[in-house]
Amino acid sequence: MARLDLRPRPALQPEYCKGCLRCVDACPKDCITQAGDLNATTGVRPVVLHLDDCNGCQLCIQACPEPYGLVPQKAPGETASGAKAPTAAHDPGEFELEDPTHLFGAKTSTLPAPVDLPGLALALPTTEPLMLKGTYAAALGALLAGCRHVFGYPITPSTEGAELMAKVLPHLGGSFVQAVSEVAAINMMYGCAGAGLPCMTFTSSPGFSLMLEGISYMIGAELPGVVMNVMRGGPGLGNIAPEQADIKLMTRGLGHGNTHAIVLAPSTPQEMLDLSRLAFELAFAYRNPVIIAADGYLGQMAGVVRLPATLTRPGLPAWAVWGDRAHRMNLVCSIQLSDTDLEAHNHHLNDKYADITKKEQRAETWLCDDAEVLLVACNTPARMAKGAVMDLREAGVAAGLVRPITLWPFPIDEMRAILTKRPRARVVVVEASPGQLEDELRLALSHAGLAPPPIQSVRRMGGVLPQRGEIVAAVLAGQDVAASGGVA
Amino acid sequence: MTTVALGPKDFKSELKPIWCPGCGDFGVLQALYRALSGIGRAPHEIAFVSGIGCSSRIPGYTTAYGFNTVHGRALPIAQGIKLARPELLVLVAGGDGDGFSIGGGHVAHAVRRNFDLTYLVMDNQIYGLTKGQLSPTSPHGLETATSPYGSLEDPVNPLAYVLSYGAGFVAQGTPADMPGLAKIVEEAIRYPGFAFVNIQSPCVTYGQEVQQMKVHKATMKTLASVGHDQTDRIAAMRLAQDYGKALYTGVFYRNPEPPPTFEALVRERQTAQGERPAREKILDRYLQRAT
Repeated sequence: MARLDLRPRPALQPEYCKGCLRCVDACPKDCITQAGDLNATTGVRPVVLHLDDCNGCQLCIQACPEPYGLVPQKAPGETASGAKAPTAAHDPGEFELEDPTHLFGAKTSTLPAPVDLPGLALALPTTEPLMLKGTYAAALGALLAGCRHVFGYPITPSTEGAELMAKVLPHLGGSFVQAVSEVAAINMMYGCAGAGLPCMTFTSSPGFSLMLEGISYMIGAELPGVVMNVMRGGPGLGNIAPEQADIKLMTRGLGHGNTHAIVLAPSTPQEMLDLSRLAFELAFAYRNPVIIAADGYLGQMAGVVRLPATLTRPGLPAWAVWGDRAHRMNLVCSIQLSDTDLEAHNHHLNDKYADITKKEQRAETWLCDDAEVLLVACNTPARMAKGAVMDLREAGVAAGLVRPITLWPFPIDEMRAILTKRPRARVVVVEASPGQLEDELRLALSHAGLAPPPIQSVRRMGGVLPQRGEIVAAVLAGQDVAASGGVA
Repeated sequence: MTTVALGPKDFKSELKPIWCPGCGDFGVLQALYRALSGIGRAPHEIAFVSGIGCSSRIPGYTTAYGFNTVHGRALPIAQGIKLARPELLVLVAGGDGDGFSIGGGHVAHAVRRNFDLTYLVMDNQIYGLTKGQLSPTSPHGLETATSPYGSLEDPVNPLAYVLSYGAGFVAQGTPADMPGLAKIVEEAIRYPGFAFVNIQSPCVTYGQEVQQMKVHKATMKTLASVGHDQTDRIAAMRLAQDYGKALYTGVFYRNPEPPPTFEALVRERQTAQGERPAREKILDRYLQRAT
């Protein structure tokens, strides 16, 4: 007898059943019940079919949300019916719900491979030194590094940098866009950096807080970009006077996840220009954002600034999503759904961080060779510390200054060399923060396996900077200024 | 709720405003004192929240409980206050940058949730506190510190924006007509639901010539004088299109049948849940399966 209209009954693939019970509700003949036994493979309870009353209506198969949970039974003699269900011991290569990036193997392409177009250094005519305020000097440094795209949101005391860019960039084929917020600004940078172009923003502490999410994404996607953070008093709204209380954020807290970025700390208008230039170089060398940590005084302070001998015409990196045939296969993103891939990516980032830590430590040391007292300070407080060193030397105390220029990586190699040479020196950390620079020093000493020397603190906060006389007095008296215990 | 006879002076704090001499916000403050004395709620029953900007200093100049909050986040904070203390009169103030640039995303959601809040935006088309940058309501072509060759962007239309999200009360005023503004603000506060007043408040230091008090006085036109029906939302929308071109003052739209507010619905739901179950019962509900 020919089988014409025999509808196949359902068959259960227990390893695909999640026990959602939709088929139980769907069955008009009450053939399906909830089971009691856990499936050893899946850890859930699959349904049980009792097919005595089954008329093969297949409503249960339609109700099943799983592609292979309930499938039509194979009729005798047939090799396959309905969906081609894989068995539990299927070849992983056959599983359709696999991560698409692994599904087809490496993509082949006939497109030309992108190549790195290196930047060009062009000679800059010698000019008289300029008298510039810090934010302007930083903007000029960025322009000389080839930055033509700036995004920002007004915030005192950093806005003038952006204002200068708004004036200058249209003449240089670039643009400044005032974003609706710092969140928008950092994401505009993400887009611009993804295209492989140098870009930056000017902001200050509260705005920097808002940018952290975007910075984490940029680090994850390995994008270069320069964030100028002209630090002001906090927490919260705080005030617009200089402080250094974002050091922790910049060195240890750049958004979520495993993040680090080089943090450059200028202390003169000249350095505002030099480090701003350097920041772009480092950002592209390591494909990572670079943070410039200035403070309110440095942003507003004017000083003599000499221009460098060259300016840079930026090239185009091979990884850029430039939007032409050669760059067609490039991918910029920070998502890695596979846990093993993401772990590998983090290992790659850690290697990069280790490489940076080895190669990019920078510090200025002054009169440290015979020092009994080592002042450690950066940004504007380093200027007061320098004055204090002179006063202390006059008073017969052999003082020296260690000024970290990179706050991350902390210049521990320099510190180690000095402490090896001057093992009895005591350290005085001078800062406009509740000990965040000191924390960096202590952490770096600890990681380097160095026993911490005696550390004294001179700390001011809220926009008040440590004064020269105050530092001298503290060193002479051997007493801390405003160092409350237990904040580390 | 206490209702007592209070004069405008009862809402004036001892803090002296540090706005530039001639700032439009002085007039707004006076109008607010008058409006609040008209309402008659005691200062301690008022929570006045603002964002960041020149105009956001305003809570400090009143005797109400004030909170100078985060840039752009005044509305979410006000909603938190209103949920915690629905019986308080909650006012929100800020500038155009605070409300329509960095805080722009919050406005739509505050409107559609319909908390009983009064949102006063002092719109001067410029960032004054940071010394003259582009604002979201700056007209196309405006030269500012961050748009030295003229802005390339079209401005936000606050009236049309808030209207289109379905706010029940939308009005506009100017300190050039302080008594009129006081009346508008009082009506806004009395509206049971989200009420928005766009106040064209001139910036004397960085604002445009055409946005100064004298010009306002000469060009302002009351909506009553053009025969506008306050309950006609479409007509309001049509008039709102003239934002930046004509200065209409008065109520653009007032919902004649105000829908229940968010906090009222929350209370209703709490009541509908009946008697509060004992803590053990709640724990049982979630723990039974696990044991």
